[in-house]
Amino acid sequence: MAADLKFAKTHEWVRQDAGGVGTVGISAYAVEALTDLVFMQLPPVGRRVKAGESIGEIESVKAVSDLYAPVSGEVVAVNTTLPGQLDTLGKDPYNAGWIVKIKPDDPAEMAGLLDRAAYEALVKSQSH
Amino acid sequence: MATPVIHVWCDEPADGPTNMAADEVLAGESLRRGALLVRLYGWETTTISLGAFQKHEDALAAVEIQGLPLVRRPSGGGAIVHGSDLTYAAAVPKTHPWGASPQALYDALHEALVRTLAGIGVDAALWRPSQPVSAHADDESFFCFDRRASGDVVFRPAASAEPDDSAGQAGRGHKIMGSAQRRLEGAVLQHGSLLLRQNTLVHGRAAHPGLADLVAAPADLPGNGQIVDRWLDLVAREARADVVRETGGFLAPRAEEVAGYAARFREPRWTARR
Repeated sequence: MAADLKFAKTHEWVRQDAGGVGTVGISAYAVEALTDLVFMQLPPVGRRVKAGESIGEIESVKAVSDLYAPVSGEVVAVNTTLPGQLDTLGKDPYNAGWIVKIKPDDPAEMAGLLDRAAYEALVKSQSH
Repeated sequence: MATPVIHVWCDEPADGPTNMAADEVLAGESLRRGALLVRLYGWETTTISLGAFQKHEDALAAVEIQGLPLVRRPSGGGAIVHGSDLTYAAAVPKTHPWGASPQALYDALHEALVRTLAGIGVDAALWRPSQPVSAHADDESFFCFDRRASGDVVFRPAASAEPDDSAGQAGRGHKIMGSAQRRLEGAVLQHGSLLLRQNTLVHGRAAHPGLADLVAAPADLPGNGQIVDRWLDLVAREARADVVRETGGFLAPRAEEVAGYAARFREPRWTARR
């Protein structure tokens, strides 16, 4: 897990590039917990989202889960290959498994997310 | 430390949108109470519930269920013919040990049912795949009871081996209970259905044998109430919790809130969202 990632409590990760755009995915922990992914629905490019708002859904054999926007802003890119290759989420969740890119309204909002250590502590607490 | 409590409600039959709405309210209530809640309910008429991601056109094309009311669940999985099943909704906060992963709640409730059935002389077991389920061609079967997911409860004919798919179709057994979840922001809502008998209002691939059709002596089966009571007691034992059977039903005192949620499930655009 790269040190440059920030995490939402709902298990999405964000990597902010030099231009401020945040690449969003879901953590390896979340992918493993969901197991056997079968379908994914993604938002359209251009959609405005608020932090904590559902931006898509992912279905595994047993469960449907929402994907939440970790920051408010505009969806500027969507990984359209992902719904057809869901195993990418398990193989490379922090790179090729990216889901959307969001241009944040307020880049400072990133500061409210969890750093790697805090996220790992959260996962540990939820695993017991 | 106080013993955890599982609250249980039994509701009168209602229509599909009302039942789906009540279950969403149940999930919110679970989060507020910080406890596992269970709602058992019936259906006013035979109703088809679609999984959250199933295609509406597939339902319209299924001649075996034409003319029956449709409702789309918020949970995943395949279509279920309700009316001759025992339907439950269970809701638990994600902070609960059974809320952390999909399999935990699934297995807990299904294992308790397997033990319940064993106690009345019915040999059932949890189905386990011999390879990842996503590799199976029948993942996308339209009806839930034609699909197999790890932890499904299958009836085990006498002298058969552990139910898995390694022996082909013959080794799969008849699925009699399946469940599916909606993982909300703070809580997990699990829908499940125990097939009690084959529904006579559908035919062909929509008709699946239920418990009473599979056992050698259906007249010896206890009443549904006894099965439910035993099941809940075993669930509570596993959770080291007490069961509180609430009176008056879940729906009636929350009719206004449920009606608000039900409006979404009545909208054609919700039912036809995929």
